[in-house]
Amino acid sequence: MKPMGIPTFQPRLKVLDRKQALAIHNAALEILEKTGFKMEHPGALEMLTGAGCRVLSDGRVRLPGYLVEDALKSAPRQIALHDQKGNKTMPLVDGNPFYGTGSDATFTIDVETGQRRRAVLKDVADFATVIDALDNISFNMSMANPEDVPEIKDIYVQVFAEMVKNTNKPLVFIADSGRDLARIYDIACLVCGGEEGFQQRPFMLNYSEAISPLRFPENVMERLIFCAEKKIPICFPSGANAGGGSPITLAGAMALGIAENLVGLVVHQMAGKGSPFLFGPNVSTLDMKHSIVSYGCPEWSLTQAALADMRDELYGLPVWAYAGASDAKVMDAQAGAEAMFSIVTAMLSRCDLVHDVAFLEYGFTSSLEMAVMADEYIAMSRFFVDGIPVSDETLALDAIHRVAGQEPSSIFLMDDHTYEHFMQAQFLPRLIDRSRHDAWAEAGSLDMYRRCNVEARRLLAEHEVEQKPETVLKEIDKVIKRN
Amino acid sequence: MSDFKALSDAVIKGDINAAVAQTQQALEAGHNPHDVIDKGLVAGMDEVGNRFSKGQFFVPQMLRAAKTMQECMKLLHPLLKEGDVVSKGKILIGTVKGDLHDIGKNLVAMMLEGAGFEIVDLGVDVPPEKFVEKVQENRPDIVAMSALLSTTMPAMPQTITAIEKAGLRDKVKVMIGGAPVTEKYAQEIKSDGYASDAGGAVNKAKGLLGIP
Repeated sequence: MKPMGIPTFQPRLKVLDRKQALAIHNAALEILEKTGFKMEHPGALEMLTGAGCRVLSDGRVRLPGYLVEDALKSAPRQIALHDQKGNKTMPLVDGNPFYGTGSDATFTIDVETGQRRRAVLKDVADFATVIDALDNISFNMSMANPEDVPEIKDIYVQVFAEMVKNTNKPLVFIADSGRDLARIYDIACLVCGGEEGFQQRPFMLNYSEAISPLRFPENVMERLIFCAEKKIPICFPSGANAGGGSPITLAGAMALGIAENLVGLVVHQMAGKGSPFLFGPNVSTLDMKHSIVSYGCPEWSLTQAALADMRDELYGLPVWAYAGASDAKVMDAQAGAEAMFSIVTAMLSRCDLVHDVAFLEYGFTSSLEMAVMADEYIAMSRFFVDGIPVSDETLALDAIHRVAGQEPSSIFLMDDHTYEHFMQAQFLPRLIDRSRHDAWAEAGSLDMYRRCNVEARRLLAEHEVEQKPETVLKEIDKVIKRN
Repeated sequence: MSDFKALSDAVIKGDINAAVAQTQQALEAGHNPHDVIDKGLVAGMDEVGNRFSKGQFFVPQMLRAAKTMQECMKLLHPLLKEGDVVSKGKILIGTVKGDLHDIGKNLVAMMLEGAGFEIVDLGVDVPPEKFVEKVQENRPDIVAMSALLSTTMPAMPQTITAIEKAGLRDKVKVMIGGAPVTEKYAQEIKSDGYASDAGGAVNKAKGLLGIP
């Protein structure tokens, strides 16, 4: 019999112990039972009161803890997102991290001029194309809030169609109302060859958010209920940003954000028992000098690592997270440091679905160069998390014996063992520069930003996105025009 | 001037109890309420604004100082004659129709109030006709609108048009803000000003009303 191998430990970050996780969870339940929330969707309110919630004289709904426990039991513990060709590329289970972009940046750094300008619909297409080409970025979000859509009320349908036309990766998308969502769903069904196809191999996840603190607007709940009924995966992260929408202290901010998320989950599971719900709030910080919500702060990475711990201790549902973004205005050292900090910690804490890659300026500006850089940093982080395999092959005693025993002593570079293993044993960077100085100078002395710019433009020029059939594209255009 | 240093310092520190006690002492000592305001409270707030713009002060310290001043004003108000205190100007503020996101709007309102403006806060989801009605009712110097969503932004020009149709456009300045709003957009819809953050909104409001 073959001897058992040594399993490889994959480095893992923990930031909460079980007692802390339980205390935050209990605080969330207490918020729902004592403080209550504003539910502005009549149908959702009716469901809640029918199930045992009470509306007190202040108009706020009080939700008993057992409803939360029920919802946590019926929500599925894995969400399988597919690409648009039907391949299961994103099984959100067991803390398997997948990275993707964000949505609705007002500006972009123009890849040709390097100037910050207002985003347009073509930026949605360009980002989708580049994301389609990047191996380590698993899903696409719009990135842009374009100013040139013909009808502003149709902005999210337009943007969704633009993504579908320019990438085959899974999509995370925004909608304004149930009406938007119905049209987006129709487009998704066209891509999958019908509703049944979509149900079997869903490729999109809706992003909707409540308003912190504890407010649930009608149009937001409309989308949540639509997704629950149609089994469209959804995440529901309110902006429980410490010091703005929630308390300045992270434990309280998490408790409030989780409470808001749990209200969403309860309504969601009532509207569609067993429908997929990606758990977790956005708990970043409001900057105390500039009153922006930070996309590069250590706090957000810390709270989402904590949320992953709460998933493992309590909730069992895959979690929503962010990484690869920055508050810097240009892609500089700050941008690189902040992007990498969140990418590696999200990986180490096993967040499941990680969005917002490629944002600059606290999410106001997008950058194709950032996307290209993040792709490499994700690969680098993944290499780290894969750990150090220990086996006869990797201990390489034979190779040591062979090389050291040669006269005159050789170097390992020449040994067959190196040839056979170097591709797996080493992280082989593409954009990170390790060239010698004269070679670097000769190639134009390009810094990381400029190398990423060259690569982004190359991908835009060369990458061919597999097109959807002409008939499908025509049908999609009809849906956009439909009111 | 040194009579009011302790009061100014209490405002700067955001020490409400000390500031209220200092205000009381100053009044008991027979100081004119206007001097208490100008040389004590406003002098303190000016220094707070100064430190904030230099990056030495954080937003919560600024808001606490404003709250401290307001608590002191509660003692002073009854001693002032009708129409005595002239605020820097009256500003009507709200998020536009369809938009329920008010953290930014609230912050702008608090900062404007801290800077000495009188604020009439209309809350969220304010339709154009309500803006018009409230302009007629309150006669503000400035109407300030906020939108977080690009889908609600069109309510800004709609509101401006409504104000125009009511014949009030030349009576008020209009300023706008919110995540998707840009300087260019502000010009396109013929508003009078835009600011990207709350501090900028204070400067813009002062600029629009010619306050140094």
